[in-house]
Amino acid sequence: MTNKQINFKFLNFKYLFVVFAYLVICLFGYLREANAQQVNLSITPPLLELVIKPGKSIMVAYRVENFGDPVILTAKLVNFEPKDNLGNIRLKDDFTGPVRFSLDNADLQLDQPFFLKTGDSQQLLLRIRLPEGAPAGDYYYTLLAETTPPNTTEGIGSARSRASIGSNILITVTDSGVVEVKPKIVLFSTIGGLAFVRDLRIYDSFDKIPLVFMVENKGKNMIKPEGQISLKGNFGEETKYDIIPKNILSQSQRLIEATPSSQLVTSHQQPVTLILSGFFIGLYRLSTQVTFGENSPTVFASTSFFAFPFKLIAGLVTVIVITILIIKKFSKNSDEDS
Amino acid sequence: MRNTRKVKIQKVKMQKLKSKCKSFFNTFNFLLVFLTFTFLLLTSKPLLAVSMESSRFRIESANTSSAAGNKSSDNYKLSDTIGQLAAGEFSSTGYVIKAGFQYLHSIIPFRFSISDINIALGTLTPNTSSTATTVLSVYFGGAGQYQVTAIEEGALKTLSGNSVPDTSCDGGAETCSESQAKTWSSSTAYGFGYNMSGNDVPADFISGTQYRPFPDRTAAESPVVIMSSSDVGKNRQSTMTFKANISPIQPAGSYQTIINFVATPSF
Repeated sequence: MTNKQINFKFLNFKYLFVVFAYLVICLFGYLREANAQQVNLSITPPLLELVIKPGKSIMVAYRVENFGDPVILTAKLVNFEPKDNLGNIRLKDDFTGPVRFSLDNADLQLDQPFFLKTGDSQQLLLRIRLPEGAPAGDYYYTLLAETTPPNTTEGIGSARSRASIGSNILITVTDSGVVEVKPKIVLFSTIGGLAFVRDLRIYDSFDKIPLVFMVENKGKNMIKPEGQISLKGNFGEETKYDIIPKNILSQSQRLIEATPSSQLVTSHQQPVTLILSGFFIGLYRLSTQVTFGENSPTVFASTSFFAFPFKLIAGLVTVIVITILIIKKFSKNSDEDS
Repeated sequence: MRNTRKVKIQKVKMQKLKSKCKSFFNTFNFLLVFLTFTFLLLTSKPLLAVSMESSRFRIESANTSSAAGNKSSDNYKLSDTIGQLAAGEFSSTGYVIKAGFQYLHSIIPFRFSISDINIALGTLTPNTSSTATTVLSVYFGGAGQYQVTAIEEGALKTLSGNSVPDTSCDGGAETCSESQAKTWSSSTAYGFGYNMSGNDVPADFISGTQYRPFPDRTAAESPVVIMSSSDVGKNRQSTMTFKANISPIQPAGSYQTIINFVATPSF
């Protein structure tokens, strides 16, 4: 073998080594990103409200999008019930009610798995059918898109995850189109402060004043409050806060939220309807007038609170007393010196 | 004669140099093309397109604004917005339907992600805690509340039925439950549990040492809320830390369980 051939072979080996090293770096760099199996799903619409006659059927198009790794999904329906007065829900394991669900997709069925690759989406054509003679009332369901857990890893301890994303379906079945509206205000009161007199709380002028407004739906159908909360001062000034229309399900209570600027109240420790802030002095009256759609009864509630700058006055008195004491002490000292 | 020889030698040298250069550039070009190709191949991401499809058709296109607006015929009225499928209010004889973001006035679709769905706790060693984390994210723009719940589909156990019990944390005053996190730092406190940190997590997770056991579906327990908020927000993130600690008498084996996460918007 000549020197030239040896040099050529050495050169080739060098290039091969560089290429190999580069590929290894690329491979490891790439693997680090793709190692964890990620689920990332979205569903639209997130909420469906339907008022329907028995014997009718409709089709609603849902879309499930996969922003994560390729995934096997199953579309299923379960009942839900309100869990608390904040709008949280509790899914039920069993399926009850007269409503019949199916998918109009030729290649998909409920409770049957389908594959969704990365970046892809699947339209679910949900058929909702009410049989003739279905009893009037409200029926609440959640459409779930549920992933299949990954395979087990032998030899180690592991917790595999099944992820589901849901969209709520609120169905009111009525033959005549008339729904039962039976609201009741169970609480309309400020909290905190001092309560020396019944229904009158006392606050410092600089305090933030939380208001809690709770409505109960005693009817068979869900209702949606509309209206305002009004704050009137003793000098005639008035501020109005719009109520956010949220569904109150049948036979349940819900905390109403109001907002002056579309900002939800979240900064307070406990969930409240509204937090009043500013400088208050004197007697204030809070009132509300709520309706629940056309031709529905209007419900009223009011409460009062008194505000006074106790802390400011206390601070001023303390400063004045200390100042007087200091002045007296200095004048006493100067008298003794002279 | 000498000059002619010198010229000849120079010519040969030049030819050798040219040949070397040519060989080098050929190899260099090959390498350049090869490396560029592999780089592109390894780093390219899938092309995302908006697709409209049903069992009978498939249209791939970007969003179009021509579809938005009100439509009607003798039998129906429909108002929709583009980019929001199934949005709008639909009314016809016998039913009224309200759906989607046009109705809710929301611009953030409801979205839920888990960064890693295969939580590897590694080889479990007695009296040594094994931990692993996953990140939960929620995009939420609807009026109301969202919640993420969790429940285990049985205890962490082997195929032969040996199980790691759900943690009760350090015990005594530090006994945790499905709804109350307590300190779990003792190496002799055994079990399986989780900690939460980040946005919208329950208030009882004060620090990284506070743990809760998962509710167990096989014990007829209900799922617990692990994330919840009425804040309209993008990318609300929390980190769930799984922890397992086994006793020296725990039989060897592959301990597995399934954790069921469900993200639902409010009503």
